[in-house]
Amino acid sequence: MKVFELITVLALAAMPAAAELPIADIPPGHTKTFLVIHPHHDDHSWDYGQAGLITKLVDAGWTGYYIRVSNDEKDGPHGYPHDDMVNLFEAREATENLGITDVISLNWRNDYMDAMPINEIRAQLILLIRKFRPGLVTSYLPWGHYDRNPDHRKVATAVGEAVWLASFANVHPEHRKLGLRPYRVPNKFYSQRFDYGKGYEPNVIVELSESNVRRKARSYWVHRNVRLSGSTGRRMRALLKEQGLEIPELEGLSDIEAHARMQEWSMYDAARKVGRENGVEYGEMFSRLGEWHPWPGLKDYLESNAVDQ
Amino acid sequence: MNFLKQRMTTTLLVASLLLVFGSSPAAAADKKVVLVITADASDYILAAGGTIAKMLDAGAEGYLVRVTNDDKDSWDLTPEETARRTREESEQAAKILGFKEVESLGYRAGELGGVSPTELRDRILFYIRLYKPAVLFIPNPYAEYVEVLDRFYVGQAAEDARRAASLSNYQPPFAVVGLETHVTPELYYYAQPFDPRRREAESTATFVPQPKALDIASTFDKKLRAAQALKTINHSTAMRIKDRLESTDRRLPLLDEINEESVNRLVEINIHKLAEIAAKDTEHSQAEEFHYAGVEYQIPSKYLQ
Repeated sequence: MKVFELITVLALAAMPAAAELPIADIPPGHTKTFLVIHPHHDDHSWDYGQAGLITKLVDAGWTGYYIRVSNDEKDGPHGYPHDDMVNLFEAREATENLGITDVISLNWRNDYMDAMPINEIRAQLILLIRKFRPGLVTSYLPWGHYDRNPDHRKVATAVGEAVWLASFANVHPEHRKLGLRPYRVPNKFYSQRFDYGKGYEPNVIVELSESNVRRKARSYWVHRNVRLSGSTGRRMRALLKEQGLEIPELEGLSDIEAHARMQEWSMYDAARKVGRENGVEYGEMFSRLGEWHPWPGLKDYLESNAVDQ
Repeated sequence: MNFLKQRMTTTLLVASLLLVFGSSPAAAADKKVVLVITADASDYILAAGGTIAKMLDAGAEGYLVRVTNDDKDSWDLTPEETARRTREESEQAAKILGFKEVESLGYRAGELGGVSPTELRDRILFYIRLYKPAVLFIPNPYAEYVEVLDRFYVGQAAEDARRAASLSNYQPPFAVVGLETHVTPELYYYAQPFDPRRREAESTATFVPQPKALDIASTFDKKLRAAQALKTINHSTAMRIKDRLESTDRRLPLLDEINEESVNRLVEINIHKLAEIAAKDTEHSQAEEFHYAGVEYQIPSKYLQ
């Protein structure tokens, strides 16, 4: 080994490892209902989606609802009306695979959300929060930086405002006419591309089992309209062949089945990477805002002094 | 020769800026004016009340611009009654801190996301040109995890207003009625400690505001009394905490009976803890923390060297 290589190795060995994030438990769940609020049909299951958390909650007896804010008309090869319908259908199949009870689609126009008054989107979310009274809401991070997708930014802000305001009786007082009382969401698990700059500051990981990852991996490619293509499977196999390589697991599969398998592996890799960095096998990262987040000066006191009735 | 010329130019530039803004926090006017912009009645007190009270105790003249009417933050009160009570209480709190005047702009709380940012900016710009502050306090729009997003909208508009107030091509009609351009030399961005990275500078000390912790031991009691004056908001906080605990089969002995005494005690615990959080790892026992841009913020670092 050359001297500079030795120095490099020693220097790397001396560097402190990145601190592992604490593992978040599933919250006690006095109301075992959760909402997943996302702009798009497929935001729950990708590298930075929450499908692992969703399956953990379902396994723990929670009931989940997926609120799709946009109509997904831009996503897919078929054009406006066809893609709307296919993407909603596949969202139902993918979230059902995760154990979600229902998909509620708000149908705002995909990728045109900047022109929409945030108060209108927020109003719908406040109504649904008061209806379902979720013990947990998961969505994109309202304070995230550098997210290029305008729907992600808009919906994250609307979610941030909705969970804040749903607890005030003077916000949409008309809801009382329906018997819907104000409600404060105690647990928020926000996610975003954590490689997108300083704004994303995850503070917990959720440890996943192989079963959690398996369901997430399937829900990823179930969005066939945007995630599967026979030509990609064919091209990947051709590339491997050119280099004299083959993947035995892909033998006997059609091109589209091969692509689905590779998509699943990418989900395993993403979960494994988060797990490896945090001392577990598989994981997802989140910014978790807990029960007493709005009162930083009271948080310690409340946690220490609240007692069972 | 060029080097000497450059040094002389730099010295003259720094000297002239210091002459304009003064070398102390006092400065641009005969009497130092402190202008505080807040989204709601409580935020500026919880995050910056001690520091503001200290400046006002030292002889500065204070003006508060409260952007929303706080009509949402109550328990079992109509929006109208909430807004009325909170206006009175916020004026009482501001008086305790030593403010000379409070301007309430009356926007409905929680609805600022639907207000034109330019409209909001120009409302604030008006007060900057009117009062010509030496010091401006604004909510930090870059603070992460501040759930009350009104604070973000107001912080963004106020930051924009500070810049626009100094440029004559913004709001030319204001000049017609005697509101001349104004540069505010000192700027404090405030926020309660939600952001885990709040103590990190955004960048090096060039034009970028830097983290700063200030001692508030001498004005802590004023800050506490001002916070306690917000009876409607404090009662709402206590009720919402109690409601949450009861809905999860828990209780907080302090809030078994909610009355003025128990609510004031809750506020006291909150204020003490906030001061302790800000003082952590500083030389102070009770503090507030800011991102601060002072006179040097106006001068490019290459000229300061």
